Amino acid sequence: MQTFFSIAVDAFAYGMVLFVISIGLSVTMGLMRVVNLAHGAFAMIGGYIASYAAQSLGLGYAAAILLAVFGTVAISIPIERLLYRRIYGAPELTQVLMTIGITFCIIGIANYAFGPTLKTIPLPTALQGSADLGFRSIATHRIFAIVCGLVVAGALWYAIEKTAFGVKLRASVDNASMAAALGVRTEIIYAVSFAVAVGLAAFGGVLGAELLPVEPYYALRYMVTFLVVVSVGGAGSIPGALLACLLLGGIDTTGRYLMPEFGEFFFYLAVIAIICIFPRGLAGRVR
Amino acid sequence: MTEETVAVTARQSRSIGRDLLGIGAIISAAAIGYLLFPDNLALLTRIIAIALLVLSLDLVTGYCGVATLGHAALFGSGAYAAGIISAHYGIADPILMTLAGIVGGAAAGLVCGVIILRAHGLPQLVLSIALIYLFHEFANKASSWTGGSDGLSGISTDPLLGMFEFDLWGQTAYFFGVALLLAVLMLLRVLVRSPFGMLCRGIKEDPLRIIAMGASPKTALIKMYVISGAVAGVGGALNAISTQVVGLDSLSFTLSAESLVMLVLGGGGSLFGALTGTVVFMLFEDYVSAANPFHWLTMVGVLLIAVVLFAPKGLYGTAAGFVACRREKRP
Amino acid sequence: MKRVVIAAFAAIIMGSAAYADTIKIGVVGPFSGPFALQGKNFKAGIDAYMAMNGTTVGDDTIEVIYRDLPAPDPAQSKALAQELVVKQRVQYLTGFYFTPDAMAVTPILKQANVPLVIMNAATSAIVTKSPFVVRTSFTTWQTSTPIAKVAHDAGVAKVISVVSDYGPGVDAENAFKAAFEKEGGQVVEAIRIPLSTNDFSPIMQRIKDSGAQGVFAFLPSGPTTLGFVKAYSENGLKDAGIKFFAPGDLTQESDLPALGDAALGIQTTFHYAVSHDSPENKAFVEAASKAIGSPAELSFPSVGAFDGMKVIYRMIEATGGEQDAEKAVNAVKGLSWTSPRGPVSIDPESRHITQNIYLREVTKADDGTYYNKEIQTFEKQGDPGLAAAR
Repeated sequence: MQTFFSIAVDAFAYGMVLFVISIGLSVTMGLMRVVNLAHGAFAMIGGYIASYAAQSLGLGYAAAILLAVFGTVAISIPIERLLYRRIYGAPELTQVLMTIGITFCIIGIANYAFGPTLKTIPLPTALQGSADLGFRSIATHRIFAIVCGLVVAGALWYAIEKTAFGVKLRASVDNASMAAALGVRTEIIYAVSFAVAVGLAAFGGVLGAELLPVEPYYALRYMVTFLVVVSVGGAGSIPGALLACLLLGGIDTTGRYLMPEFGEFFFYLAVIAIICIFPRGLAGRVR
Repeated sequence: MTEETVAVTARQSRSIGRDLLGIGAIISAAAIGYLLFPDNLALLTRIIAIALLVLSLDLVTGYCGVATLGHAALFGSGAYAAGIISAHYGIADPILMTLAGIVGGAAAGLVCGVIILRAHGLPQLVLSIALIYLFHEFANKASSWTGGSDGLSGISTDPLLGMFEFDLWGQTAYFFGVALLLAVLMLLRVLVRSPFGMLCRGIKEDPLRIIAMGASPKTALIKMYVISGAVAGVGGALNAISTQVVGLDSLSFTLSAESLVMLVLGGGGSLFGALTGTVVFMLFEDYVSAANPFHWLTMVGVLLIAVVLFAPKGLYGTAAGFVACRREKRP
Repeated sequence: MKRVVIAAFAAIIMGSAAYADTIKIGVVGPFSGPFALQGKNFKAGIDAYMAMNGTTVGDDTIEVIYRDLPAPDPAQSKALAQELVVKQRVQYLTGFYFTPDAMAVTPILKQANVPLVIMNAATSAIVTKSPFVVRTSFTTWQTSTPIAKVAHDAGVAKVISVVSDYGPGVDAENAFKAAFEKEGGQVVEAIRIPLSTNDFSPIMQRIKDSGAQGVFAFLPSGPTTLGFVKAYSENGLKDAGIKFFAPGDLTQESDLPALGDAALGIQTTFHYAVSHDSPENKAFVEAASKAIGSPAELSFPSVGAFDGMKVIYRMIEATGGEQDAEKAVNAVKGLSWTSPRGPVSIDPESRHITQNIYLREVTKADDGTYYNKEIQTFEKQGDPGLAAAR
């Protein structure tokens, strides 16, 4: 029983970290319909900025996170204007080509600028060490990641479902020209959602750096994981993504505990099974 | 209605002409490659092997509209099938090894087809990713058969037709590869123009209408997947024969993603587009990675972005469109 | 026709060697991609050697040609080697970070009349694939065997082994198990985890539940190692007194700043530590740091590359610049010298390097940086892996 709880805690923590990093991708893919393979690259930029801010500029953790989020958004604005704007509504494969190209460039530049070594983001003392849950201990920063994940999920859900902006966004997604005719400035809506998605990527990159360390190949190494999580959840659905992260995190963690040799098999067989049963993802909307 | 038929026949006769032109172009490209790079035939042979993979991907992605990032599963299965019969059963005849590759690839095509076709769009992409990882992991586990992560070595190849040896200079492998590519290409030209090929294109455009016509899209797509597997298997076998080693990379996500990039680069939905994409991508990569082994990835990225911006239908697609446009302007 | 062409090629190759004044060395390694750091170290070692010993041997000028192979890809490896031999006419092939890539090249060596000097690839069996292979790095068996004695001497009787599920990992598991059982210890469980594991908490739980007093681990350097070591200290294994043993790949110097305090006190056995105290090493580290740019990136592949160049220079001397693979390889059999890592020699039979293996502990220096402090020496270790394979 204790083992069960222990695994459950690990699974929950892992799932929430996955959620924080991938939720931005769910926004670009589900709401903006862009297969954004460069999502990991933006998360990586966030990680690099935070690492630089904390290591070289000596800023605190909170300041480093803020700088990472806004810095990454600032970097992404010209990229959005010059490159992404050309592929809104283009065929999926064209989007794949463009975003892989962007990823390659960012990897090359990161490698050139920061070198191939691992970069860490020093944690504040409050998040270091581990907390005692009674039956086991868990790293404090994981608890922090869980809390952040829940806050992000709640805020996003509220923004998309309950605010005027959310209504306009959903309208633009469902029928861009009709929304434009009704006076919604779709370009701005898209730019803002893109910035939010990138900001979330950067935030996730910093927060998840303890689990997925920042290095130039970050962008490609974890791309598949992000893509899988978002699609299993059903792109564009916040509760779906949350459910998928927890489910896949649970399967992954349990598989790795019970039969580590076949950990990979468990994960991908589960993905195949879920998609075969829910071909549009766990919470996919019928289009 | 009649006008349309006339247009279709005109287009057909024009495309037969283009076929001959294309085959001529490939033969001359092969000859030019041989004359220009007589001492780098290993690279040219590798391009041919990958070209077969990209052609096979074109069959399901370009013609049928199936999104897949796991097509190397078919290529790798072919390579391992050819390698295993040589390394474990001592069957070293290159033709028999190629046949083994075809069978291996087709079998993998059947498995992948049945699973991947259960979803559409993004979930389909993810299914294919899950599959390629399962294949990869399986080959890693079955290390007594596949050599695991150390690669399957110990593949020996008899001389082709008992006369031409596969040696360091790689001439035999190159000409064998060119012959395989031409044979496959001619068969595929017939295939994509056949009623079956048309049916597949129809499925890509509008599956509902195909069902209404009484055909089953699923059966057709699975058939296409098996054919595609056979083509990829030829490529895999060629790779195993020419390099005499098969590594786990031939079943990797990276190779799948690269082949998709090459296809989109050249332009999907056309066999010559697939070829153009492969040749341009591989030569470009070879050139920049030799020129600057440390930072060439950025250049490849710039190339991909430039293609999307300036040739959105792919290199071949855009060029063909440009030519067609000029022709139509003429009276 | 074909014979004529081959004869012509052969003539060109032979001919070029006879009165060549430039001798080309082809280096294949991961210079971009996830393992770029290791490729950078190859280059640093090569540059350091050439800076210290000149770019000429006799009358011949040495030219080094680099080819990038970012990830294990035997087919591409063979194509690159063929291109280097046939087109660039290199007389020596070297580099090779991954085993499958080196394996793929061995069949062409005889026909190409080219020796292969391996600067890293660490699977024992490579040297048996061709008589023209010489290795100046280490094997996983070589570095993993002494740690078993260390574990036993530390009073640990039950160990759980955790390795990444790929060639070197399996090698390490077998090597440790064989040596540890010989010492009288017991490996209570042997776990193989997929290479792409990100979250190690469940594995740590497994280790705790196994009741072992120590854990033996082998994982590829980089993110995987970082995750594993962090999980080890975060999940309370370190505090619970479960000892950590590993070959030195895990605590390579370039990873230490990222590992930080989590790695403190971890004991590893390896053939080289950048901190090794000897005049040869001081000179080497100075030259290699200059070559690599940022000294923090210096790590073990650089010394393999440095000694690889030493062996190649000796080969060129012995053959007088002629292309003669057999003569070249024979000339270095039994060769012994003082490397930056300590006294080494090339075993005449296996053509693998015999060297000291050191027990090191991750320690914090006075200036706050971390380094591998050598605390014990196992002298003149050969490769136990070849004997085990037989």
